[in-house]
Amino acid sequence: MSDLLRAPAEIKYAEELDWLESVDDGPKPFTWRLSPKMVRLFVLGSERADGLEREIAPKWFGDRSFVERSIVTLASDRGLLLIGDPGTGKSWLAELLSAAICRNSTMVVQGTAGTTEDHIKYSWNVSQVIAAGQSRASMIPSPIMTAMEAGAIGRFEELTRATSDVQDALISILSEKYISVPELDGDDGENIVFAKPGFSVIATANSRDRGVNDLSSALKRRFNFVRIPVVTNKKSEAEIVRFRTEELLRRHSIDLDVPPTLLDVLLQSFADLRASAAAAGSDDEKLESALSTAEQIGVLEDAILHSTFFGERTLTAHTLAGSLVGSLARREPEDLAILNKYLHGVVEPRSKEHGGDWPEFLQGGRDAIATLS
Amino acid sequence: MTGATRVPAAAGAQAPFEALRGRLQQAAAAFADGPGALEGILRGIVDDVDRAVREPLEIFPVCHHSPASAIAMARRLREKQPKVVYLELCEDMAPLLPELRNCRLPVAVQAFASEVDGFPAEWAPLSVVAPITEASAEYQAIAYALETPGVELVLVDRSSDHVFQWQPGGRPAGPADADPDQPPAEEEAALHGDAVGIEVGDLRPRFAELEEYLLRHGRVRHWSEWWHQYVELPLGDSDHDTYRQVMLLIGSLFRRLAPGDADRVGVDEDRERYMWTRMREHLAATGTDPADCLYVCGAFHAASRVAEFGVHGSDTFTIGPRSASTWQYGLIPSSHAAIEAQFGLAPGSVSIAATQWAKNVKRSRVRPFRLAGQAGTKAPAKTAKSAKAAAAPAPAPAAPGAAPPDRLSGFLQRPPVLDALDEAELLGWSVDIVRAARRAGYLASTADAIAVFETSILLAGMRDRARPTPYDFQDAAITCIEKDAVPGRRDVRRLVEIMMGGDRIGQVGYDALPPLARDVHDRLAPLGLKLQQRGVQRALLDLASQPELKPCSDVLWMLRYLMPPGTARPIMGERRLGEQPIQESWDVALGTHQRALIELGYEGVSIEQVLEQRLRRAAYGPQATTATVLQAVEDATLYLRSRRLADELGTRALEVLATERTVDGAPEVLRRVRRLLAYYRTSEPVLPAWIESFVKTGYAHYCTLLPTAFTDEDATVRQVAAMLGFLFSMEGLALSLGCDRTQLELAVAQSHPDEPARVALLWSAQLHLGRLSRAELRARCGQLLGNPLVVPAYPRYLSGFLHALEPVPQLADFVVELVSNAFAVLPDPVLLPWLPTLIGTLRAGGAELAPLLIREAGRIFPGRLAALDTWVPPWLAEPAPALAAAPGAAGQQGAALLAAHPATCDALARLLGCDGGWAQAGPAAGGAVLAARHPATATALAALLDG
Repeated sequence: MSDLLRAPAEIKYAEELDWLESVDDGPKPFTWRLSPKMVRLFVLGSERADGLEREIAPKWFGDRSFVERSIVTLASDRGLLLIGDPGTGKSWLAELLSAAICRNSTMVVQGTAGTTEDHIKYSWNVSQVIAAGQSRASMIPSPIMTAMEAGAIGRFEELTRATSDVQDALISILSEKYISVPELDGDDGENIVFAKPGFSVIATANSRDRGVNDLSSALKRRFNFVRIPVVTNKKSEAEIVRFRTEELLRRHSIDLDVPPTLLDVLLQSFADLRASAAAAGSDDEKLESALSTAEQIGVLEDAILHSTFFGERTLTAHTLAGSLVGSLARREPEDLAILNKYLHGVVEPRSKEHGGDWPEFLQGGRDAIATLS
Repeated sequence: MTGATRVPAAAGAQAPFEALRGRLQQAAAAFADGPGALEGILRGIVDDVDRAVREPLEIFPVCHHSPASAIAMARRLREKQPKVVYLELCEDMAPLLPELRNCRLPVAVQAFASEVDGFPAEWAPLSVVAPITEASAEYQAIAYALETPGVELVLVDRSSDHVFQWQPGGRPAGPADADPDQPPAEEEAALHGDAVGIEVGDLRPRFAELEEYLLRHGRVRHWSEWWHQYVELPLGDSDHDTYRQVMLLIGSLFRRLAPGDADRVGVDEDRERYMWTRMREHLAATGTDPADCLYVCGAFHAASRVAEFGVHGSDTFTIGPRSASTWQYGLIPSSHAAIEAQFGLAPGSVSIAATQWAKNVKRSRVRPFRLAGQAGTKAPAKTAKSAKAAAAPAPAPAAPGAAPPDRLSGFLQRPPVLDALDEAELLGWSVDIVRAARRAGYLASTADAIAVFETSILLAGMRDRARPTPYDFQDAAITCIEKDAVPGRRDVRRLVEIMMGGDRIGQVGYDALPPLARDVHDRLAPLGLKLQQRGVQRALLDLASQPELKPCSDVLWMLRYLMPPGTARPIMGERRLGEQPIQESWDVALGTHQRALIELGYEGVSIEQVLEQRLRRAAYGPQATTATVLQAVEDATLYLRSRRLADELGTRALEVLATERTVDGAPEVLRRVRRLLAYYRTSEPVLPAWIESFVKTGYAHYCTLLPTAFTDEDATVRQVAAMLGFLFSMEGLALSLGCDRTQLELAVAQSHPDEPARVALLWSAQLHLGRLSRAELRARCGQLLGNPLVVPAYPRYLSGFLHALEPVPQLADFVVELVSNAFAVLPDPVLLPWLPTLIGTLRAGGAELAPLLIREAGRIFPGRLAALDTWVPPWLAEPAPALAAAPGAAGQQGAALLAAHPATCDALARLLGCDGGWAQAGPAAGGAVLAARHPATATALAALLDG
């Protein structure tokens, strides 16, 4: 486990999943490894009232009803489409759900402009076909087909990035629940791959990319949409950032303290920038970044790594401000101008009024902007 | 919890709750590692219940918008037949309650004070609303008391005035703050305005963590859903004792677990003292037996621990006097959405409660009470029978003092009641929502209905219930039908809310309206519109053929002035001074804005009176300027046709003008006074005295201010131009009234502006006064163009001349000349940046001047392209030799006229004592000379006549 840079959820939480499976006495749909209630418990964490002997840590932070609706969708006949802004935790939720339901979250197709129907259905091992002809043995099943055969959850990341005709290959998979392989002989039933019970698809799509390749209404019908909003609740956002940062520090084996006051500075600055983006009249007046929670984690990660390897092994407001400017300034001069305005209009008065980490944060931001411009 | 207020537990057979007490003690010991705070709380709760149950005056705890409360109330009232019902509602609202029968529920009882005395002025207007829905316990109590002869309804809660008096931290908040993630509220949600809401039986944990805990463990999203699931459903069919004890338990629990906010607790306790004091006063005054009474209050107040609690409580509370504010009372329409917004309830919860009430009534066969003649509700099947039942003697009440049995233990030990799945109902919902979604533009099909059905059951299962609640169903519908975009106006969440009962909007009946509103309805009756109905209705008024509609038109114009935009909107027709309307067309939405009309009714008995008050307020307010007062004069003339008020306000305008030290409002003053003058000149035999004084004062006032305004940087060119406009255009009238022109000439002579635009304005004034000839002015402008150092400032001079068109309109041709010269001579770097400014100035300030300029330019410039080559601007053309009019000829012409009509001259001569006679006129030659020079016409005419 330790030799993996990033272990998938089913490996990372294998022990917890085993334990949950052992105590789970609820009814399980199809071939699910856990009952729906236990899946929810795995994702959202346990409470005292759940009466479990050990505590299960929450792994995804958000409204309980989103998780419930997602689980219920997977237990029904339809696929699940998680839609939302980038960085809202869609893929993470998809991974957790797959890990809890079938202990395999790696059957993933990544949607890109180059994704073809082969990636969704199957392709051929050409040399084997030349050597032995077309047979099930020389066929390379796609992750989705593998999931069908195993009665597991297949994942499709960034569905709207794939072109419309490729997307539509999913229609028959989701409604008929089989893939026919016309190249094979139909006598022994080899030319059809049927899905086993338990098969379903979790797709994710960015609401910002919606215009790229809009879903056909036929495909929309076969998916239940669960919209994951950007977390604006400060308390849960702080929890998410803390959770992810701890994980990150553990992964990099970094021994560094993140002072809570700095975490507050980060959260507050994102909240301010979000408010100004909401008030902006045109795209030029707001940052290109979606200012999601994931971006916050990115900023913090950058600052931590920077202070560990190039700094004095303590996280300072100066470094944090530098990382914030570096991560958010994507367009010149628009983004830099907005950040500059933010530093002078919001941070400067605040640093005078409240002091604390803010003066240093202000200085760090100024230095970073000066370097970039 | 204080020992002093705790009621000692009774012992033996008289202590029905002893067993429960013991069990709770054990539980406390088990959970909290020994007796302590937890035990105190648990035992205290039982004590509270015990105490309230033993009270000789029966306490009936309720929760707002709870169908279970309403059903239990109806059942209890039929059973007990109390003679007096005490109700937790502001006591000063009592006289309005009988009017409820004229309304369609939900409506809100409103207390309103527009003029406050004793509160900070910024709180005004004060408004308190108490919404009343049909599915509420208070409506049952009210209907019972008002419909049963011999029953008295006494409102015992503090008055509306005390609601504000008892707010130490400032004005109580209006509607609950909306969740920022929620979509903006619809129009129906704003029916209460910013009133402070009060409701009977506010019951909700005051302890945020407790509410969060309950929601989390109840697997529900919000409080309304928790209440529905864990109290409403289990209590739906329970007997009276169980209902009462459980409600008391909940009230006590929330009370004991409500830390912090001492102010709020203090107000609650004061209210309880107030109510009990009032009840004891009433009992003492009427000698009623407490056993014949019923006290309806929120469960929270039923678990009170104040010393004044109970018929035998202490009489230590003194009720403070009300403030001197004048309160008005009325009924205003309300809606489920407005109630939800006001009290921070989940959207749709009141509608769901209403549906639940209808279902409960059907299932439990309880006959609810209903005010006779109540509009919009279904009459009970057999009213006569119910009346008979109501009049029937009451069953013998339980022996006084006998404690009711302990129902609480049984209720608490029972596992949660799981409603069985009602498959037919869920199927119906699923089909209906798909149909509704299709109508709203969603691509929903039967497959979705199946998916919604299945998902609802799965979701309910995940949340530990067999039967999906309306909220589970809502979640399921959103999951299965909502896609990435909402195709129409409403999303699936809203569609489910509508389907589950929808918003219901109340209506206040004609008889319950204040006199002003009734008067408006009466006066608009000739239009033949259904004014009570919500929505926009079109009224067509052909005033030429139906002059009897003129009063309607007057009312509509006044409504437009007084009411929020959209109440009465003229589509065609306008009202201007001196104009008579022929046809008008209006969009009227009086039903939609019923609340505003009712609130208008608090200000006076007729709209004329209210309008007069408003105009007076505008004119006498501290912010009043001359322009606003003149506007009030104009409005008084337009809408009220009141010469008396116009004169009074005009005199006020005069006072305001005399005290004004700035010229900010000069353009507006000029515009209005011109309009009023034109109106009075055409419609009145003599000018009103005030306007004469106004012109006189204004002339002197603006003459005095002119030199300062010319150099004052704060005064704009437009304002100075307007001052000059006033002075020049009113000059004739002012001089005839005794003003002196020298004053104006001196003022102009004292003005020494530096800024180019003002200099140009001054030159124009001098030209008008004859101190500067046009040739001199042209020469000065020529010098400006000739001097390269001044050229960049030339456009600013031009702006000044443009503004000068207002006071000196005869300059129009000269301005055209200047603009032409500018285009011809100015270098591009000066001209091009100035062009947008010119267009902007003409658009903004010169809406009336632009046509003048264009007409003048059209006159000066050649009309055809071909003529342009040979065209010479008139200002460059050699001046045509003036017709050398022989002085004798003119004299002769005048003489001829005089000779023909000598009477005036003779009379004057006689009067002045002149004795001279008439001279003989020579032969008139002027006409003959002209005819000789241009004979063509005469020749043609002669030929025509000959022929």
